Amino acid sequence: MSEFEFSGNLPFGQVVPGNSWVHRLDPRARILFFLLVLTAVMFTQRPLGLLLGLAAILLGLRLAQLSLRYSLRALRSPLPFLVFLAALQVLFNALPDSVPVLLRLGPISITLADLMAGGMLLLRFATVVLGIGFSGQVLSVSALAHGMETLFAPLEKLKLPVHDAVMAVVVAVRFLPFLALSAERIARAQAARGAQWTRVNGGLFRRIRAQLPLMVPIFITSLRRADTMALAMDARGYASRTPQSTSLIDMRWKRPDTLAMLIAVGLFVAILTF
Amino acid sequence: MTLIELDHVNFRYPQAQSTALTDISLTIEEGERVAVVGANGSGKTTLGRLLNALYLPESGQVSIAGMDTRRMELHRVIRQVVGMVFQNPEDQLVAAVVEEDAAFGLENLGVPTLEMRRRVDEVLHTFDLWEHRQRPPHLLSSGQMQRLALAGVLVVEPRVVVFDETTAMLDPAGRRTVMARMDELHQRGATLIAITHFMGEAARCERVVVLDHGRVALDGTPAQVFADAERLAALGLHLPPAADLAQRLRLALPDLPLGILNTAELLAALPNYRGGPAQDLLREDLNVADAPVPVEMLRAEELGYVYLKGTPLAHRALQGVDLNVKTGVVHGLAGATGSGKSTLLQHLNGLLLPQEGRVRVGPYRLEDPKVDRYAVRRLAGLAFQNPDMQLFETFVGDEIAFGPRQDQLSRDEIRARVRWAMEQVGLDFESYKDRRSFALSGGERKKVALASILARKPEILLLDEPMAGLDPRSRGELLAALRRLTILGLTIVISSHQMDDLAGFVDEASVLAHGQNAFAGSVGEVFEREDELLAIGLEAPVAARAALELRRKGWPLAPGLVTPDALLAGLAAIGQGVR
Repeated sequence: MSEFEFSGNLPFGQVVPGNSWVHRLDPRARILFFLLVLTAVMFTQRPLGLLLGLAAILLGLRLAQLSLRYSLRALRSPLPFLVFLAALQVLFNALPDSVPVLLRLGPISITLADLMAGGMLLLRFATVVLGIGFSGQVLSVSALAHGMETLFAPLEKLKLPVHDAVMAVVVAVRFLPFLALSAERIARAQAARGAQWTRVNGGLFRRIRAQLPLMVPIFITSLRRADTMALAMDARGYASRTPQSTSLIDMRWKRPDTLAMLIAVGLFVAILTF
Repeated sequence: MTLIELDHVNFRYPQAQSTALTDISLTIEEGERVAVVGANGSGKTTLGRLLNALYLPESGQVSIAGMDTRRMELHRVIRQVVGMVFQNPEDQLVAAVVEEDAAFGLENLGVPTLEMRRRVDEVLHTFDLWEHRQRPPHLLSSGQMQRLALAGVLVVEPRVVVFDETTAMLDPAGRRTVMARMDELHQRGATLIAITHFMGEAARCERVVVLDHGRVALDGTPAQVFADAERLAALGLHLPPAADLAQRLRLALPDLPLGILNTAELLAALPNYRGGPAQDLLREDLNVADAPVPVEMLRAEELGYVYLKGTPLAHRALQGVDLNVKTGVVHGLAGATGSGKSTLLQHLNGLLLPQEGRVRVGPYRLEDPKVDRYAVRRLAGLAFQNPDMQLFETFVGDEIAFGPRQDQLSRDEIRARVRWAMEQVGLDFESYKDRRSFALSGGERKKVALASILARKPEILLLDEPMAGLDPRSRGELLAALRRLTILGLTIVISSHQMDDLAGFVDEASVLAHGQNAFAGSVGEVFEREDELLAIGLEAPVAARAALELRRKGWPLAPGLVTPDALLAGLAAIGQGVR
């Protein structure tokens, strides 16, 4: 990977088009599926349930015909941090004295329960990161937006601007890859002029100062583009749209969606109780 | 029927001292095709935005099909009547996938889902985007993005389409596509308003409106507007390239009719050869014996590069590319958008390191993992297409001093470097050094960006599309600055998709197509290959096409005449016109 390819590390907006069973589900079913399974994984206290959650995500990746290697790459940057957290958990977990101690290092004692807790933490976050990466690969921003809009539609009755909020999220997320591309171009243009921010040493101020050449053009070009984009949206009738604006995506709940929902609820219960 | 009517319109940007448009009165009939031209800051874009109520007049009245744009409740209908295509497609695509972007305008109008689906599918087929309907816009090629931006506007079936410098950054093939769409729309009765820097495009319209400092300076048929070259020059414009060449050729071919505006007319009007048998051409042999043998400065061999290698989004930019540039030579790198020009240039100063093959820059071998990339970048300065990407300091002087400061020169040395660099690009040191970079015009920012590269005194200068998007006046100034640089003996590699820009400036050229070498040679050899250039999305310079046409009509012209000067000299050499 080149030193300038920021967009390769971007988790959003990198939907891998496909036509698998998973891709064909109603967006709402996909959103609810991830919501249920990942919530259960976040809160379960059961090691077996956690393993089940991980298995479900891995199986899902398989069913969606996605590359496991690519998905695992999302783990690469948070992994050292997670290992560190898990180590803290193992070393400094306060547990009642009644638990048998495996190893004692001065004031630190390591018990089986500590190891379990550390392992669970690692597994839990790895599963969540994989799951989020998975959802990012099969839920396009548009599917996410339309799904959320229909799921939250009842809130419109409370005069909450659901449509505008969803639109803002869509535009922001669509902007991200372009932002990463601009950052790449700017980084190159700066490097061509001798900028060396990757090897700047010294105090915080110096390091921040070294980032300025990158940040200023990103801000200025982004603001300028946001301006044009707002004009382009208005020119296409966004500001003056009818209250009855329609949508290209016609969402239909089908039998496989119900099946997926049943599986998700089953997993939710199983992960929390096994 | 009058469709658009501007009645004594004044417009002022918030907090601006003076008006951007002053007392504009114009009427445009349904079905007209109007070009709006003018130097930067003449008010072209402002005028365009008044036509669909994005801007509202300060005084006076704009009415569209009888609707006053100041009536907010009519904006929905006005924007349905007047569609607008902007310059950069990245800034006008709003949805997360292609088909939804095409549907955006229809969604806002509340078109029922079934009918919307039918119209979106139809427009995606028309614009050859059907295969990509589920992709996110940022994964499209630039040509596809451009088509999508057009599709999203045309799906609403507007009666008027405003093209706001839509073609400014496009390569010739992209421009031909947009022009063909415009012809098609025009034939179907749509009203077109083309805001453009390209006089050749303006000449294709029925009417040309020239703006100057917010006022209408000229308004008439292309023949009327382009009749007075001096008046145009005073307005910061020039003749269409074919008209300009025709005017110069009249010195040698006095029978050439007046009023030629485009290349087709020029080629058709060129006379058949009626002189005697060609006299033996005395080719003045250049005295090459005394010239020093040039040393090789840049060499790429079998160069290959894949972006985002190892991800599902990987795409190949270069394959097996060879390049060879000798010291002191000006080398043109020609190719359509996406042909790999920028990727190749970024290898030539070590921004990218070769994944496949070898690159040598001066004494440095880039395939060596221990190569000092910073030293390579100091030796070979690269100026990017968009100056906004590389400028970040508040003041021009600091901007240009950034490079020398990175090289830890003394204060006096830095000052001397900045002064020297600014002089090279034609910016006055005293009057520009304390100006704010972001308040400068596009052409001035380009010069600052170029000076900021020169300030590090590179031996090699790499220029990525330096002319793209500039108005005629800034274009001329930048070209003059670049000419001065060639005298300094720098080795220059300049990329462009405009062969007319390259032909008058480079010594030799190589052409890339789809990330591979297409052909290479001296300027005469390369730019004469009319059909091959066309096939890869480019276009031979108009002078080269005229020279080829003259030879087809029997003129005993020498081969390799690709600039107006060379063509005139070639005609003089066979006893035609003034030497």
